[in-house]
Amino acid sequence: MKLHFKINNKLKDLELHANETLLHVLRNNDFTEVKCGCNEGECGSCTVLLDGKPVNSCQVLAMSVQEKEITTVKGIGTLYTPHLLQKSFVEAGADQCGFCSPGMVLASYSLLKENPKPSREEILFALDGNLCRCTGYVKIVDAVELTARKLHANNLEME
Amino acid sequence: MLHQNLEWFFPHTTEEAVKLISQQGIILHGGGTRILKTSPKSIKGLVDVGKLKLNFIHHTDKQISIGAACTYDDVIRYSAKTKKLLMLAKALSEAASTPLRNRITIGGSLKDFPIWSSLYAPLLALNAQIEIAEKHDIIISLEEYLETGIIKTKHLIKRIIVDDDLHFVGGVKRFVLIRFEYPLFTIAVALRAKKEIISDARIFITGVKGRYKHCKRAERFLIDKEFSAETINEAEKHFTPKFVSDYKYSAEYKEHAAKVFFTDLLHELKGNL
Repeated sequence: MKLHFKINNKLKDLELHANETLLHVLRNNDFTEVKCGCNEGECGSCTVLLDGKPVNSCQVLAMSVQEKEITTVKGIGTLYTPHLLQKSFVEAGADQCGFCSPGMVLASYSLLKENPKPSREEILFALDGNLCRCTGYVKIVDAVELTARKLHANNLEME
Repeated sequence: MLHQNLEWFFPHTTEEAVKLISQQGIILHGGGTRILKTSPKSIKGLVDVGKLKLNFIHHTDKQISIGAACTYDDVIRYSAKTKKLLMLAKALSEAASTPLRNRITIGGSLKDFPIWSSLYAPLLALNAQIEIAEKHDIIISLEEYLETGIIKTKHLIKRIIVDDDLHFVGGVKRFVLIRFEYPLFTIAVALRAKKEIISDARIFITGVKGRYKHCKRAERFLIDKEFSAETINEAEKHFTPKFVSDYKYSAEYKEHAAKVFFTDLLHELKGNL
């Protein structure tokens, strides 16, 4: 069947089965920026924002979120027009293999939107559902702090 | 694996939802995390609770009502904002990662009571009540809900009700090796004390033989005693949960660990008084 979903501020018709998770529906409909890691709700690679809050899309049945706003990492910035946060990830060296990055960026985005000046502990708490096997997390936390500093220095809000 | 031709229902009233789940093979869908973990093929239909308006936290002078569709994160945010439900919020914040806490609902966790749940012990210690809808709506204590076996029947949970009691101190401890591991057990203690004398105590542990235990013997020991280091050390002897051995830990080991955690928790609470 085909149903309407609001993804990255656009209405999209997605092909799906009633038993499918949001992760598989998104990937089967070309939203391959949402990564499939553990498929168990452990790693956070498949993180998307549902009405602004991070969730594991592998643990969400797609049928249940038809009326919610879904944001993937491409919804906040693209390769050619990266978001301030994505730029900070590059500057801080927070990307290595990059597999966890979409989830990390979205979880950080959600945090900064709500709390533009988080402490290091608050960052760790907000990213507790996202695993990275490369960086050791230090540079990821640095990237979030760097974004917070840039926001503050330029009197900006997360958009 | 869930069935491909699964039917979805989106009722607007609890009456409709109750009627739907009375049919065989049709169950409620809150956050869906538990359904995906078990994925039974016998499920023919899912009744989504999203339109039932059960996503609320109401506060009156004496009580706090938590709608069944509230997520763990909703409760944690409410607690951070109001400084209420602190013991519950602590337990929930340790129970799962941020993206899962944004999906797992209070109602779903109460109905399923998974062995690893960190929700029950603090709610039982807080003497919570539960409102459920079957043929009629009823409000009963959470303890009664478990004891009478109502939990096993088909029903819809509407809300959980907790007294807004400013005069107790409460704490919760879970036995885990890493943060998000399923806990071996969860202990919750709520105490009232007047001038260093304990006037009331509620102590519960989950993860034990029979799933949970109301530790009445330890409660009786503590009441009317001075809340001193000696009392705490003595209380351990009256805290006697029974466990089942598994492939990782013997029952004796778990019992010993539970006693250590219980004593630590009481010392922490004494510091908070």
